[in-house]
Amino acid sequence: MAQNTGKASKAKAPNATRRLRWGLGIMLTLLLVVGGKLFMVQGLDVGGMAEAALNNRLTPIELPAERGSILDSSGTVLASSVIRYNVVVDQTVNTKTETFRRLETVNGKDELVKVTRDQGISELAGVLGMDRDALRDALTGTQRYYIVAKDLKPDVEDQVSKLQIPGIVTEGTSKRVYPNGSVAGGIVGFLKDGTTGQAGLEQTQDEILKGTPGKRVFEIGADGLRIPVGVDELTPAINGKDIKLTLNSDLQYFSQQAIQSQKDKLGAEWGVIVVSDAKTGNIIAMADTDAPDPNDPGKVAAQDRGVRAVTASYEPGSVEKMITAAAVIDEGKSSPLDTFTIPPTYTVDGQTFSDAFEHGTEQRTLAGIVGYSMNTGTVMVGQRLSKEQRYGWLQKFGIGEAPDIGLPAESKGILTPADQWDGRQQYTVLFGQGVAQSTLQTVRAYQSIANDGVMLQPRLIDSYIDPDGTEEKVPAKAPQQVVSKETAKQVRDILESAVTEGEIKEAAIDGYRVGAKTGTSESPCDDGKSGFCGFTASIIGMAPMDDPRFIVEVVLQRPKGSIYGITNGPVFRSVMSQTLRTFNVQPSTGEPARLPQYAK
Amino acid sequence: MSNAAVNSYPVAQGATARALPGIRPGTGPARKSRTPLSLVRSAPRKRRAPFVVLCFGLLAVALMAVLVLNISVSSAQYQLVQLRSEQTTLTKQNQDLTQQVQNFDAPQNLAAKATELGMVASLAKGQIDLSTLSVTGKAKPAVKGDAPGAVIAAPAVAGQLTVVPPASENDPLAQRKAADTKTADTKTADTKTADTKPAPAAAAPAVELHGGSVPAPAQKVPGQ
Repeated sequence: MAQNTGKASKAKAPNATRRLRWGLGIMLTLLLVVGGKLFMVQGLDVGGMAEAALNNRLTPIELPAERGSILDSSGTVLASSVIRYNVVVDQTVNTKTETFRRLETVNGKDELVKVTRDQGISELAGVLGMDRDALRDALTGTQRYYIVAKDLKPDVEDQVSKLQIPGIVTEGTSKRVYPNGSVAGGIVGFLKDGTTGQAGLEQTQDEILKGTPGKRVFEIGADGLRIPVGVDELTPAINGKDIKLTLNSDLQYFSQQAIQSQKDKLGAEWGVIVVSDAKTGNIIAMADTDAPDPNDPGKVAAQDRGVRAVTASYEPGSVEKMITAAAVIDEGKSSPLDTFTIPPTYTVDGQTFSDAFEHGTEQRTLAGIVGYSMNTGTVMVGQRLSKEQRYGWLQKFGIGEAPDIGLPAESKGILTPADQWDGRQQYTVLFGQGVAQSTLQTVRAYQSIANDGVMLQPRLIDSYIDPDGTEEKVPAKAPQQVVSKETAKQVRDILESAVTEGEIKEAAIDGYRVGAKTGTSESPCDDGKSGFCGFTASIIGMAPMDDPRFIVEVVLQRPKGSIYGITNGPVFRSVMSQTLRTFNVQPSTGEPARLPQYAK
Repeated sequence: MSNAAVNSYPVAQGATARALPGIRPGTGPARKSRTPLSLVRSAPRKRRAPFVVLCFGLLAVALMAVLVLNISVSSAQYQLVQLRSEQTTLTKQNQDLTQQVQNFDAPQNLAAKATELGMVASLAKGQIDLSTLSVTGKAKPAVKGDAPGAVIAAPAVAGQLTVVPPASENDPLAQRKAADTKTADTKTADTKTADTKPAPAAAAPAVELHGGSVPAPAQKVPGQ
């Protein structure tokens, strides 16, 4: 028996082992297949299943960057972004909901109150200030997204949300507001669709103001809940930088009001006032008439929406005589007390020049020629310069070179090369005809005289302020020595004598020494062919002359009435004295320059 | 040897077994000497109960911890939501108030308010230099009713209180006084002529351009 059993087991054993091995083999193969598939799915992701699933779960949200503000030199906000709300309706929801329940406090208790759709609509109409029927139309329909009202203030939005009307939601949007309105409105500019700058600094500094939008990517499950252990990538938005200007908004307002009054009084086409700091080149005010209110720029005509101080170039007229005087003095070809015998009219190369006033043959000093703004004398003294020198000096004073202050469409003026000047133009450029420049270019030329011959490029953007508060100053451009310090002093004396002894006595300010020059030029018609249409009247001056600090220029385009009766003197005086007062400038010391206007 | 081993030891080894043919005693292999019997100590039984209790305890503690964590997370969530909404409300309020201040601060609004209160800008000012005790310039008292000049329109920030009466549409910067008297005149004229003929049609409203320069295309309105 024992043998039998032994035999039987011996006979079966190989069989069992084989079966076992077979089974094991099959198992292992299956395991290998499953494992391989698992590896392919999990490890290699053939077919991109995992990726597709992840993409399905991943939800990106754009985090908008806040647009930077525009500030004046003292931090007054000229432009900033605020939250406003749009009321949006899902019409399908609202139309089919005849009644809804809402929690209300009745007699001190919270109760669910049943509200009909009509009642809800009339309540909403009351809050939004809309017509009830118009609102009903807006809420009825099949659109899933329909904007009912735009740019609501937060308190109104709060009331709308409390009504709990089905289908109605409010969405936050960013809205640009300009708290100072038309004060510096043209300089600040405006946006075209609420995001992109269209004019002024909003346009040129768009990239800096805009910032970089951030992004948040996270996984969301089928139930709409965020998967806590999933991907959560946050790229924070980088807010735009604030821009701090050199402007003083109070002076800007004062200048705008002054030039507007002047324009209204004299029926001019437009006017400009520029106030600049001679020591730094900073523009303190740049006033335009009919400046746009960036909150609603459509209210003013299209041509009034820019900044004429930089965009409008015109023939400056007699203010250019300062450049001629500075040139001849710096070249050593004349001096303030150099004497000239001036006939009633002066003819050179067949070109006859006369003055704005009648006079006989007079003995004049160079100071007297500038002080009485004589074209004849200016041509006589300017003749001592070659054509190339005249061109070179105009160029040196920045005519033909646009100031770069960061505004759109800055004009560089028109300075024709000397070899293209015709017989008359070669002399008229000496007194500011046949050459065109913007107001800011004139101010820059006078600034170099006020600042001992050193020309500083005008600055409008003082600094950029990072979102973290660090302030990056915009570096001043390299100064240029235009004339020597001595020449600048002599030209300043000529300008001061024009106020003390010459024709511009009305520019004088009690307590301060002032130097000034007027300019009147004929203004070519806009169509460019019908000759001249009116005049451009301007006055530019600096104070206090013992240490010039401020330059003010007032320009009035085509005032109505006799040009001899028009004076910008009082406007200049009021703006200049307001500027001196605002910056607490000490009254002048020392004796004012009184260069004789007539030669003895 | 364990009990089990002892039990399974073949029983057919006893001396009482009859001899099988062909197998004689003494000719077989040398008999194994019997293992002496000895007392087998059973190994002490491992007590399982404390372990199970521990497991259940741990489970319960873990559940409690999860519950507590959940409650605290959700209550913190509520708090978070509440604080968020509070923050939003405060931000809104802050923005609103800031805007109001900015609106009152705007130079044209300040000037208008000052004029409303009867203030007049002084035109001639004098200076006293304390170090030299010199007086320069002749200060003159401001005269009431001096022409204030042009009025710059108040900022058109939507939803702000208008401090200044808005200037007329067509001529936004016209003198305010003149505009006021003009509207007053037209009002009286309206009342006079109201009986005889209808009031002149209101001036066409300024086209709303929304900051653009191209007016919207004219559209036919149903019913016209």
